[in-house]
Amino acid sequence: MEQPANQDISLQIYQGEIFGILGDNGAGKSTLVKQMVNLLSSSAGTIELFGRSILDHPDFVTTQVGYMPQEALALNNLSVGEALYFTAHLRGMSRKEAGQERERLLALWGLEPLRNRYSSRLSGGQRRLLRLAVAMAGSPPVLILDEPTNDLDPQRRKLVWDILRQLNQESAITIIFITHDAIEAEKIIQRVAIMRDGRLVALGRPGQLKQQIDRKLRLELFFQPELPPTLPPECNHHVVETGRWLVMLDSEQVAAVMSSLDIACLDDFRLYSATLEDLYLHYAERP
Amino acid sequence: MLNGRKPLSLPAQIFDLLLIELTNWRWSWRSMLIIATIAPLLSIVALGVFARDAGPEALRYVLTGNVVMALMFGIMGNVQSRFNFMRVMGGLDFFATLPVSKFALILAVVLGFLLLSLPSIVVTAGLGALILGVPLSISPLILLVVPACAVPLAGIGAIIGIRGRTPQESGAINLLVTLVLAGLGPVLIPPERLPDWLVAVGRASPATYAASALRETLLGPVTAALAVDLLALCSFGLVSFWLVGRYLDWRQR
Repeated sequence: MEQPANQDISLQIYQGEIFGILGDNGAGKSTLVKQMVNLLSSSAGTIELFGRSILDHPDFVTTQVGYMPQEALALNNLSVGEALYFTAHLRGMSRKEAGQERERLLALWGLEPLRNRYSSRLSGGQRRLLRLAVAMAGSPPVLILDEPTNDLDPQRRKLVWDILRQLNQESAITIIFITHDAIEAEKIIQRVAIMRDGRLVALGRPGQLKQQIDRKLRLELFFQPELPPTLPPECNHHVVETGRWLVMLDSEQVAAVMSSLDIACLDDFRLYSATLEDLYLHYAERP
Repeated sequence: MLNGRKPLSLPAQIFDLLLIELTNWRWSWRSMLIIATIAPLLSIVALGVFARDAGPEALRYVLTGNVVMALMFGIMGNVQSRFNFMRVMGGLDFFATLPVSKFALILAVVLGFLLLSLPSIVVTAGLGALILGVPLSISPLILLVVPACAVPLAGIGAIIGIRGRTPQESGAINLLVTLVLAGLGPVLIPPERLPDWLVAVGRASPATYAASALRETLLGPVTAALAVDLLALCSFGLVSFWLVGRYLDWRQR
């Protein structure tokens, strides 16, 4: 019998929250969001949007949810401005409102210089920004974004997270997104679901989940390979790569370890608590 | 906060989607020009050489048969490739997540390619008549006949595009079907010159009725047989569109 893409998932996403879905490739994340937007059917269970079954109210989903798929070349023949205008109008805005929405989104995403360029002529990063803008066209109160920062350079990744946070704070838009970029996503994520093999293996606020895995602090040391630092004998280190160690510390060890280190011999060091990426690795890789 | 928006009316959806489809002209005009115009004209020239000795009736068949070919290349082929592209590249998913009806999308695609094919149909008929020396006697009913011919061919193209696993497979099947429809029955060649069994089999092909209806409305005279052709074309159109609606993966796949 074929293994289901996902199974026994039960979760509630609250209005106005920023919800992240993490998991390895093939964990069932994209299947889950496609089910949320009615593209795929579920063999069992129900999905509700604002209390209404999405199966019984398909038009309610399409007018209230903006979806950005991982890949899509639907609007390749259209210019950037046309893609935004038509999407906003088809989502139920009047022609005048759709025109205003196009201008707002062009300005918001810095796409004004590309207004008349065909989508097929955009770079990978520009196309990703256009797809984000298209998902927002018509101002739906819920956004579902499948890997919104793939293909983006650090500057544009920051732009995306900043805009999503701003939207959430100013307009209380509910944002659900899939990402592999756990470190960046941590800046805006409010609750997270971690999936493995089609199952939900962790759900909650990152802070809560971090407390469940461990309370250890991470000390990362960067140094010239020929001059490794000297650590107190009770400290074990893990070699991340040549010239980079990771040391797990209890909070009471921190002061002693830091005072024993010759910081002048290090290229750099970082001390931090468990990150969202640690959570992801912990839950996604745990057998 | 819910935005209280409702889907657009069906005509407004069709109009927007039609405008989107018409932008296909940006990439398809070269193939339209080459395949849907030049290929039928070359065929007219080549078949015309042989048909001249067979008399004026054979030339009438060559002309209208090639207008049907222009319709098959321009509408059936392009609708096939458009649906296959949308299915493979995520376009159908995009439209399925917007508040638009599946039938509005199907209708817009067909209407779009019908409009985009009109120049090639006019050029094929006009230049073909000049090349073959066949006098045109155009009936106003042609305005009804061309869409009636286009609908079943578009439906067949859409089914091939939706069912094809890859663009290559879909394109190959479409070419095969085009050749079969053109060769099956009295489309390019008068029935007197075909074996009886081929004429009989041709009655199951929409191309036969399309060629017959075009002959009557392009070259005259219009007879009662046109009603039979239109009825057959509408029946083929209804069945093919029912199948398109059934096969098109949309929401809740």
